[in-house]
Amino acid sequence: MSFIDLLILGFSEAMTPMNLGFCLLGALLGTLIGVLPGIGPTATIAVLLPITFFLPPLAGIIMLAGIYYGAQYGGSTTAILVNLPGEASSVVTALDGYQMAQNGRAGSALAIAALGSFFAGTVATLALAVAGPTLSVFALKFGPAEYVSLMVFGLLAATILASGPVLKAIGMILIGLLLGMIGTDRATGDARLTFGAIELFDGIDFIVIAIGLFGFSEIIANLEGSGSEGVKLAKLTRLWPTRQDFREAWPAVLRGTGLGTVLGLLPGGGATLASFSAYSMEKRMSRHPEQFGTGVVAGVAAPESANNAAAQSSFIPLLTLGIPSNNMMAMMLSAFMIHGITPGPTVLTSQPEIFWGLVASMWIGNLLLVVINLPLIGIWVKLLTVPYRLLYPAILLFCCIGVYSMNNRVFDVVLAAGFGLLGYLFRKAKCEPGPLLLGFVLGPLLEANLRRTLLITQGDPSIFVERPISLTMLVATVILLGLMILPSFRKTREEAFQEEDA
Amino acid sequence: MKLARSAALAAVFTALSAGTALADWPADRPIELVVAFAPGGGTDIMLRALAPFIEAELGATIAVMNRPGASGEIAYTALSQAEPDGYTVSSLNTPGFLTMQIGRTLGYDPKALCPIARVVEDPGTFVVQAGSDITSLADLVAKAKAAPGAVSVATTGLGTDEHMAMLQLEKAAGIDLTAIPFEGANEAKTALLGGHVQVIGLNVGEAMSSDPGSFKVLAQFAEQRSTLAPDLATAVEQGFDVIMSSERGMAARCDVPEEIRARLSAAVEKALADPAFLDVAAKQGLPLAYQSGADWTAAMPARLARFEEIFKLVEEDK
Repeated sequence: MSFIDLLILGFSEAMTPMNLGFCLLGALLGTLIGVLPGIGPTATIAVLLPITFFLPPLAGIIMLAGIYYGAQYGGSTTAILVNLPGEASSVVTALDGYQMAQNGRAGSALAIAALGSFFAGTVATLALAVAGPTLSVFALKFGPAEYVSLMVFGLLAATILASGPVLKAIGMILIGLLLGMIGTDRATGDARLTFGAIELFDGIDFIVIAIGLFGFSEIIANLEGSGSEGVKLAKLTRLWPTRQDFREAWPAVLRGTGLGTVLGLLPGGGATLASFSAYSMEKRMSRHPEQFGTGVVAGVAAPESANNAAAQSSFIPLLTLGIPSNNMMAMMLSAFMIHGITPGPTVLTSQPEIFWGLVASMWIGNLLLVVINLPLIGIWVKLLTVPYRLLYPAILLFCCIGVYSMNNRVFDVVLAAGFGLLGYLFRKAKCEPGPLLLGFVLGPLLEANLRRTLLITQGDPSIFVERPISLTMLVATVILLGLMILPSFRKTREEAFQEEDA
Repeated sequence: MKLARSAALAAVFTALSAGTALADWPADRPIELVVAFAPGGGTDIMLRALAPFIEAELGATIAVMNRPGASGEIAYTALSQAEPDGYTVSSLNTPGFLTMQIGRTLGYDPKALCPIARVVEDPGTFVVQAGSDITSLADLVAKAKAAPGAVSVATTGLGTDEHMAMLQLEKAAGIDLTAIPFEGANEAKTALLGGHVQVIGLNVGEAMSSDPGSFKVLAQFAEQRSTLAPDLATAVEQGFDVIMSSERGMAARCDVPEEIRARLSAAVEKALADPAFLDVAAKQGLPLAYQSGADWTAAMPARLARFEEIFKLVEEDK
């Protein structure tokens, strides 16, 4: 069958009333859990998995997939409106999105996020359809050595995330690395920095830190400002983005989509890493990096398109090789297995309707999400007019429920509260939490892969320069480091900082 | 006087409520099933699939509650602190439940938890790329003898099933392999397909559900061949003393009335014989191996002794 025939087969499968209905249901559920912080798609799908026993295979899988990418759309809503990332992958969206909302441009930010996500979803779905098998071969080339080089590059790039002095950014990264070390060391089985608490044996959850540093500390800081009335928002100017907004967002969406599609392929990476990287890259490419963090359209467009692209492309290794690249995909694998389908090269040829039906439904689902989300923007923005004395307790309540429901324990809620206080102190010291979170995500990956590499080569480090992908990334790291040390670059960075202060 | 009276009242109420709990069990409120792993893991999916069938047998409702962390210690601690009224049960997994008893101070007493029923026994396997020149354990041993330490085996960490199987093979064949810790079976599979490691350890269930065109299974580490892989030779049949399997089942506090534990065990046994469940189990690739609570309890000390022997090898390896 030719590509067109297969695509037609896919759409005819996905457009049956039943499959369409489950696609809509999944997308709606995903948007909802995306908006609620802490309640993530993994837990939702685990609860719904047994229900899919009673559905035809394709309908069940279409619904679960809809929940996953629907959550990427929903997660940005609270990040933009109230500086509370609904999902780990929308943490960086809060940096500029929330500032845009403060400047009265919440509608533009939400629209850009939805449209950017839709574009990215379309491209990544197309990539899955056209080049799935080829892309998965590339993903397999990424061994431990390549990861080490990628993480080293990522950590250096993390300093760009912050707009303050480099030294503070590096300090925050180091704190992130330290937090990432908490837990049981896989290679030796020893507990590190757990202080005997069994709740810390598996380390700290990303969501606990993100909700503490962003959500809780935001509320504390606002209470300090003006008491019960809260902060005066700039007047809502317009709901729809201006032509200028579109012009600024367009290239960022393109770059975010490309980066997200590639990073989504890699095991362990996924949407969170993609959104962080896209934001860093955008800031690096920008002619006005100093404006990032003050409400730049590109700072919303890039991470939002990247996380949605990654959410779609993380299906590629699962569908073409049968290997899930993250926890979410592992759940999807179980959904396939329940119906006796083993994803992989064999299924691509023997049951093409499953693969192509899912691909087609993913595009339809993205379209449905835009249709759902754009009219909702007006309603979401009204949320900002709710008095803070009502809004804040509600936000706190949802945060606590979300954090508690991850592992069903109070310990995590208390820990998140502690991070809220810490986040408040960071604000006072003008230290930004972005680099800390990236250090926290990348540190454990760097450590584990460095150990794996050296165990495999029995202690020989030359593998890092012998493998081409690894070498390329190390060279890029050195260039970036050079740029940062060069006097001219340092000067512009300092100028930028002064401008910001002024 | 007042104090004494309220104490007496409290005692009466306690006695009454204990009495009603036993008489009404399990219909008056939901049974909480604590799962020691995150949603979506093998144990979680198995128990969520099984729960409706147990509900039907008992005429009860079961609420699944995930308490992941510390390889199960958090869930076992929670179970040991629950009321011994039969309304709280938990998942129970070996080798984790047994190996955590070796040289570690625990937040609960393992002797206070009694197995209700074993549901599956999933033997370990070693898997290589489909195109690999290694086709049997003997090939693997020959390769490792030629280049000590150069053959890398992906595990999911120190003291896990795969790691313990590897140590047994090293000892049985007198070879030296290199363990590479990965975060989970799927990361290990990716590394194998990319050619970054030569061998990975998986359970039979995982190995059989992988794409048959990409992987080759060398041996299963069970005493008898698993129902899932009747054509796959065991390590012992191939001449190497490697026995390693993981078991999953359920447990309750030992001071839960004997009668309730027996009814739970019987309900699991009946659920496992239900054709509708057998269909689900076959699709999920579950290597069903029911054992009653009593039989499973009786088999635990021998397993623990074996793991203690292997852990001595871990210490030597360090």
